[in-house]
Amino acid sequence: MDTVIYFVLVPMVYIAFAVFFIGTAVRLIKIFREPKHPAPLQVYPEKSPKWLWTLHDTFLFPTVRRHKPMLWVFLMLFHIGLLLLIIGHLELFAEFKIFQIIPHEIFLGQGYLGLLLAIALLYFLFRRFASPVRDLSVPEDYYLLILLFLIVIFGSEMDWARRWYGYEEMAVSDYQEYLLGLLYLDPYLPDAVTDSGHSFMLVLHVFFANLFLLFFPFSQSMHSFLSLPMNKLRRG
Amino acid sequence: MDQKTRDDLLDLFQSKLNEAMRFYLETCTRCGVCTEACHVYASMGQVRYIAAYRAEIVRRLYKKYFKGRGKFWPSVGEAKELTEMAVVELFDAAYSCTGCRRCMVYCPFGIDTQMIMSIAKLLLIGANAEPEILSMLADTSVEKGKSLDLFKEGFLDGIKRLEEEVVAKWQLEAGEQAISVDKEGADLLYVALAGAHSIIPAAAIFNAAGENWTLSFFEAVNFGAFVGDPSKTKLILDRIVNEARRLKVKEVCICECGTAFRVMKQLTGKQPFGVVSITEVHARYLREGRIKLDRSKLKGAVTYHDPCQIARNAGVMDEPRFILQHLTDDFREMTPEPKYNWCCGGGGGLVALGEETLDFRMKSSRIKADQVKETGATILATACENCHTQLSNLNDHYKMEMRVEFLSSMVADALVR
Repeated sequence: MDTVIYFVLVPMVYIAFAVFFIGTAVRLIKIFREPKHPAPLQVYPEKSPKWLWTLHDTFLFPTVRRHKPMLWVFLMLFHIGLLLLIIGHLELFAEFKIFQIIPHEIFLGQGYLGLLLAIALLYFLFRRFASPVRDLSVPEDYYLLILLFLIVIFGSEMDWARRWYGYEEMAVSDYQEYLLGLLYLDPYLPDAVTDSGHSFMLVLHVFFANLFLLFFPFSQSMHSFLSLPMNKLRRG
Repeated sequence: MDQKTRDDLLDLFQSKLNEAMRFYLETCTRCGVCTEACHVYASMGQVRYIAAYRAEIVRRLYKKYFKGRGKFWPSVGEAKELTEMAVVELFDAAYSCTGCRRCMVYCPFGIDTQMIMSIAKLLLIGANAEPEILSMLADTSVEKGKSLDLFKEGFLDGIKRLEEEVVAKWQLEAGEQAISVDKEGADLLYVALAGAHSIIPAAAIFNAAGENWTLSFFEAVNFGAFVGDPSKTKLILDRIVNEARRLKVKEVCICECGTAFRVMKQLTGKQPFGVVSITEVHARYLREGRIKLDRSKLKGAVTYHDPCQIARNAGVMDEPRFILQHLTDDFREMTPEPKYNWCCGGGGGLVALGEETLDFRMKSSRIKADQVKETGATILATACENCHTQLSNLNDHYKMEMRVEFLSSMVADALVR
């Protein structure tokens, strides 16, 4: 069992990050080195400045807000939540002064962010069970949502235990020790991380996150990088 | 399907993979926001007509043959082999899509379904499964470009016969020519369609505005674009480009034909001449006071159908409304935002296929008929040949009891000195 835990928490993390970074970079380079389309692909009327409207379209999803307002609410919640949780994870490595503009304990959102994200993911998943989105969906779409839900739920449980129920066996300092070890290529697993009652949550959280990162460059998740240039094409 | 055919088809697929196409094929999250965008889905309610579903027909082949996943884990994206059955599905997707790009307005990423369908159309050509009539029409156009001399005389004779009707609409001074052809140093080269209705009103308006213009030997319509054949599209286009360069014109003016205008405007590249639609030219004449229109001639409320390739896809939206202000006091918009206008259902070569597609065209455009009826107008104006034909068919089929008119004809009929 220890070997499995070690594998998930150390080598698999390295593999997953390597595939994520290299895979994403290689795929993006390949796409951006293709020849440009010879004609404009714009939709009119034009609005200036085009780059500002491109940012607007990319980050505020105006077309979703207009045509599927409910989906828009959850999409905004999800994407903003995701950004804040990424910040939260960075803070597990070290303190960043800039993130403490709003003073907070790690993580942001007192545990509610994870809850909101989990609810948003369930909404995304369940709306795929109903026609016509059901007819459009392919297995990839479900796998990604289920994977994200599992990541969020196990990650949040750890946060909830600490924040809401005063669970103290796994503290922020333990995570920092583990993560900095990984970062400095000197992996070290503190006892609290491997042997406390909630270790299984961490192992599962990291395991599913690894799977997600491994799949990321080859999946529709690439929309995170491609949405901006595509929206630019539409704006002209 | 044998291996050789499949490889050839995949080479054609590969030839379409540029940066934008990769974006469009990689990105869809199948969120379903485009569901209500397609007029075919809105009218018929079948899932296969949702933009994302159409695109997925092509995307499944992409996932099979152009992504590593296709070898290791095809089922994750429902990747699909290129078979005879797949070709049938490609036909269904491509020739029920009019390329109006209304779905592009809905998509959070701006995926261009028309462009994805261009892969389907090219594969159909490769598999000899495209609508033959479109290929034949494209070939005829290409042929005409190669051997103009054979057509020249007949064309000039035909034009001569039209001159009288042009003069009937707008009287000329003695010695002036009603329709000039092949005139070097003209300011404007007008590219019409084969048909008097595309030439007579336009000629009368040019003459009324005192334009130094000449008529192209070639018809504007690009069947190469309808059938999705890039090389024929280019050959058909080049005929006009070469003529414009030879005559040293400043401007090429495309008649009321959406595809012709968009292809000419967006695919000619950098040239010594500009490209304008006839609607833009008429608006310019009005703005400059070169023509005057009598607003009292038109009786009844007017509405305007924005041809997708001219409005949403090429940006000519304000000009027709400006012209209509000079034609009527009772103009009624179909939709608050022209970019959301429903497609008439005739684009992408469907009208050119005539009777063959009539039943589908009528069923798939019920939503358009409803939109037009809601305006309560009695005159339905538009500025595209295909739209005009399709709207006239809808007018009969749905008993709308309207008059479907070309905007240019309305301008010509209202000309005053």
